[in-house]
Amino acid sequence: MTKSRRISRHVKRRMTAIACSILVLLVMLFFLAPFVWMIIYSIYPSQVLQGGIPDLSAANLTAGAYARLFSDTSFLVPMGNSAIVGISTTLICMTVGSACAYAIARFRFRGRQTLLMSMMTVQAIPVIVLAVPLFILLRSVGLYDQLFGLILTYTAFILPLVIWMMVGFFEDLPPSLERAARIDGCSRFQIMYKIAFPLAAPGMAATAILAFITSWSDFFLAKVLTSSNAVTLPVKTAAFQGLFAMDYTSAATAGVITAVPVLILTLIAQKWIIRGLTEGAVKG
Amino acid sequence: MRRTATAPAHVDKARKKDLRFGLMLAAPAVFIVLLLLGYPMGYAFYMSFQQWNDKLGMDHPFTGLSNYTDLISDPQFHGAMARTAYFSVITVLGGVALAVAIALLLNREFKGRTIARVLLLVPWAVPPVVNGIMWKLIFDGTSGILNGLLKSMGLIKDNVQWLADPSTAMNILIFAEMWKLLPFLCLLMLAALQGITENLHKAASIDGAGAWNKFWRIILPNIRGPLMFALIVQSMWSLKVFDTIYVLTGGSGGPAEGTTTINFLAYLTNFSNLDRGYGSAMAVTIMVLVLLVTAFWILLFGRLNRSKGDIND
Repeated sequence: MTKSRRISRHVKRRMTAIACSILVLLVMLFFLAPFVWMIIYSIYPSQVLQGGIPDLSAANLTAGAYARLFSDTSFLVPMGNSAIVGISTTLICMTVGSACAYAIARFRFRGRQTLLMSMMTVQAIPVIVLAVPLFILLRSVGLYDQLFGLILTYTAFILPLVIWMMVGFFEDLPPSLERAARIDGCSRFQIMYKIAFPLAAPGMAATAILAFITSWSDFFLAKVLTSSNAVTLPVKTAAFQGLFAMDYTSAATAGVITAVPVLILTLIAQKWIIRGLTEGAVKG
Repeated sequence: MRRTATAPAHVDKARKKDLRFGLMLAAPAVFIVLLLLGYPMGYAFYMSFQQWNDKLGMDHPFTGLSNYTDLISDPQFHGAMARTAYFSVITVLGGVALAVAIALLLNREFKGRTIARVLLLVPWAVPPVVNGIMWKLIFDGTSGILNGLLKSMGLIKDNVQWLADPSTAMNILIFAEMWKLLPFLCLLMLAALQGITENLHKAASIDGAGAWNKFWRIILPNIRGPLMFALIVQSMWSLKVFDTIYVLTGGSGGPAEGTTTINFLAYLTNFSNLDRGYGSAMAVTIMVLVLLVTAFWILLFGRLNRSKGDIND
């Protein structure tokens, strides 16, 4: 009796494990298949893909869509714009944001808690509230549809995120090194950029990647604040699909091109990104 | 400052220097945020009290609360509110519940656990516009893969125009958004689950708690904080969904306004109708809603915290 019961419990456990593995596979399939399908769409001619089970043999492969987009200035310019805006925004955010975060983490000035909390709160403001005033503001100073206008706007939107994350990283550093440096006669500024910043470098890199991703992926603000000259990659990509007509292969290809840099950066920094994304929630 | 009375003069001086240095470091960031977030926010309030329609003319008479009272009697806004409620309830409650389930699944010991977690970042990283295009390639009526698959399996004879029916389009939108938002919530819940100590699990098993009991009595109370965070963040996102709607519906919010949420309606009002005063009133309303929903979650969980003590507290 007891033996058979033990066996049945063992069988039950095995069954659960197998069921769970199947579920995990299904979940992962759900999360990956649509993206893989878009990649397939970008490397096969659309006649092959429409109707029924597509024939995905290597003979049908084509890089034509990529060749077409990469030789089309109306696509290359937005891509360049996105790169310029993303890199500039990231650099400004990291410089200005790290300084502010360091101040919040290390100096006990009045209002630092308020400052930190307000950085958290502004992230909750829906973008739509700010979109119209920003549009009017940028138009009135001649920065509408200009890369610099977008850079300024993204900087303001991403700064709170950068500050929030960097405060966490700076607070994790042991203050003893900085104290020792001060005793050795380093100035406050030297301590910051010669000791604290290098120590926080991995966190900084992850934050920078997150800042770049946020800027690169934005659609709404770019849509509202540009019209032709400063159009970014997401706006261009979305334009491949109009209300009535859609160039599917181009849209899929543009989609892959828009997503790939973000995916690569994410995979490079995955450990830090997961930590950065979840830490605030789990701690607080 | 009480400390200055006891601290020697040079320490006091150093502290003052610290303060000045700290403020200097923080100033540029504060300036940028105030200029480009704070000022526009105030300006949005100001605009929402005016009749400001760029189609009608350049002068903007002050009209008090009339934009807001118009909202109350605007059937288009009511429709958008109802759709937003439908969308948000499913994506927030359904999303967080599913995320907890998937997190429990991924928290088990299995081969490739680390890889599975890293791959979860793929949907998170895919830009929202690309998310829209991806699902368009699947659900599109003429050349989407879904119709092709269903036809080859003999389940349908003719192409179904999935995105042509308002309520189907809304459900597809929810499905597409879920794909994008679930991974982040899952990672959050996974991190929370890992915060529960092994001892707690063991103690529960020794006490003879079944899986069901363990979930309600041990796991759920101990991930309350992250759970609240997930609900708040997801509520904010759901109330401001935009990109996927834009791409899935070709910028229309259609068919027949079927996917026009309040955020999308505010966009159309501001940037298609150029009715910026009325649109600002909508935007401000969305912000108030975000605040209310956030307050709701905080109050609800504050109550839970008081009524139920847990082991870790």
